[in-house]
Amino acid sequence: MKTQFLRSLAGLAGSTAIALAGVTAPAFAQWTGGDDLPTNPLSCDASTPAPAPVAYNGGQPADATAKAGMNLRVVDVPKLVGIGYFNATSAGVAEAAGDMDDMSATTDGPAQANIDDQITLIDNYITSGVDGILFAANDPVAIAPLLRKALGAGIHVVGYDSDAEPDAREWFINPAEFNGVAKTLMDELAQQVGEDGSFAIVTSTFTTPNQARWIAEMEAYQSKCHPDMEWLESVEAQEDNILSFNQAMTLINKYGDDLDGIVGMTSVATPAAAEAVTQAELCGEVAVMGLATPNAIRPYIKSGCMEDAVLWSPVDMGYAALHVLRAAVGGTLKPGDTTVEAGRLGTLQIVNGSEVLLGDPVVFNAGNVENYDF
Amino acid sequence: MINRHSHEAVLAVLAALAIAVLALQSAEFLTPANLMNQGRLMTEVALVALVMTFVIASGGIDLSVGSIMGLSAVLLGTFWQKMGMPLPLAMVLVLFSGALCGLFNGFIIVRFGMPPLIATLGTLALYRGLAEGISQARSVRGWPEWFAQIGQGSFAGVPVQVWILLAAMAVAVVILGYSRWGRTVYAIGSSETAARFAGLPVDAAKYAVYTASGLAASLAAIIFVSRVSTTRSDMGTGLELDVITAVVLGGTSIFGGRGTIIGTVLGLVVIQALESGLSLAGIKGDGTIVLIGVVLILTLLASTFAESRARA
Repeated sequence: MKTQFLRSLAGLAGSTAIALAGVTAPAFAQWTGGDDLPTNPLSCDASTPAPAPVAYNGGQPADATAKAGMNLRVVDVPKLVGIGYFNATSAGVAEAAGDMDDMSATTDGPAQANIDDQITLIDNYITSGVDGILFAANDPVAIAPLLRKALGAGIHVVGYDSDAEPDAREWFINPAEFNGVAKTLMDELAQQVGEDGSFAIVTSTFTTPNQARWIAEMEAYQSKCHPDMEWLESVEAQEDNILSFNQAMTLINKYGDDLDGIVGMTSVATPAAAEAVTQAELCGEVAVMGLATPNAIRPYIKSGCMEDAVLWSPVDMGYAALHVLRAAVGGTLKPGDTTVEAGRLGTLQIVNGSEVLLGDPVVFNAGNVENYDF
Repeated sequence: MINRHSHEAVLAVLAALAIAVLALQSAEFLTPANLMNQGRLMTEVALVALVMTFVIASGGIDLSVGSIMGLSAVLLGTFWQKMGMPLPLAMVLVLFSGALCGLFNGFIIVRFGMPPLIATLGTLALYRGLAEGISQARSVRGWPEWFAQIGQGSFAGVPVQVWILLAAMAVAVVILGYSRWGRTVYAIGSSETAARFAGLPVDAAKYAVYTASGLAASLAAIIFVSRVSTTRSDMGTGLELDVITAVVLGGTSIFGGRGTIIGTVLGLVVIQALESGLSLAGIKGDGTIVLIGVVLILTLLASTFAESRARA
């Protein structure tokens, strides 16, 4: 116990020194920005084993079927408003509300991705007596007490994009499984930079749940299936365009010829990294790929500086979220179900107990990027 | 008398008006449950604003409170989980380190005569950087049930943190309004040179207000961590702006020498009522921010106008 205390103290002193020196490199050389949760890398070939069934682990609202058949007022609270990605999810929510004549849905979110603002906002909507809440959490734990309060008040709660603790909501629309995204990203990257290539990551922050989870899964999959690739560094860039560009530039200057590829973990970082590589005139030498919306990366795919990027349709995600909420209210989606009907998306699978899987991630490349507009 | 309290009077009328209008817009607004809940949501900002009233009345400012809150939250998790200290001890140490951060602000300001705006702008970055470095971007979760009561529980039907806030308000009212310390703060804010020649303990008073400001920010951090049951190094980002808005709306002069706790409390009530009431009335978040900005400017104009009339 005592030695552990001393070690923590030394670690603290070390971290403090780093913070004081203004160095952004992680203190632990091995650490790449992933979270501490267990990982589940997929097999290296294309075979996908059937997922093991998991018992329902979501929460249920007080008197779950009381609102069946009633007109519902639903509020959609994304992480923040005013960015293209969440504009697309709220367009999907609005589309689904238009499908159904007994639902009204409004989108309202904080102007910045701030946990306190998001919590206050949702709290006021609970007081105002909405019937349903759709959310994309800025922090999975911080939002949970409040969502439990909503469930306790008989409000139906469905998450999308960024989850909360499972028992704080009924269902979660999982845009793509973390290990599936990790596999797609690493396989695409390996194909572009080679099995002995070295690469760096530009992410949002190391605590953003989705990004941390993807990175952890990528790390596990890479050490299993692409063991000779070298993971140089992960850097934080918020979800800020200029900061992402600067961080990508720093990586290019810092590693020079050792850098074969940059992976952007946010829809902001990937096009910013492509812009940095373009301006450094390293197209073809430093590969850029990652998560991105088709509109943002179209110019780089056209100029040949990027081959492809990976994402799902945020419009479909918002669309599915409202349909799942409707199904949960109406009693057609109950704990223990394995599939759910979601309008034009057809039948969606339920995985991990209470997560509705949107489908496989989409790879945008020169062949199909013109077919999407978001 | 009118001259001295005209701003509080304007603000009290405004608060009553806002509450009446908002209550007509939404049936859920003026309910005991919502009022208690709003008290819960405003406690962190209010605690820091009470002490900020002293800081601004003394002619200073403290921009580092949000960063101290973030650092304190991270330290609470580090002391308790990473170092294995008992949680009560960790809480005491966090309050101590928050006060120390404030004392350091005071040290730079008093010892080197640095303008408070610059000094605390520097420590805003410094303390946030420390929070990020120490946390290594990891959050600490799994707080015991008794700890969660501070931010989520109730005592006699009133949220626990609101009791803490009420106690802090009582202490602040007495010190600023009725004690020698309070008069010293006003004297420094009116004219520091005159206060020094009058033999008042100017340096000690400045140390005291900045230390108290850090202490309040760390207390707010403990309550916030308990309310959201996790720690993050970005906690409290932008807190300083919410706090200063409430204090200035409450009639404390940004040049020092004037300001009351009652005014600050009224300022907090107006802002919280607008945020909650407008949201309940179906107005989106961006509209609310615009309206709060307009109210701030109009209130200060109205009170300046009333004051010049009273003087003339």
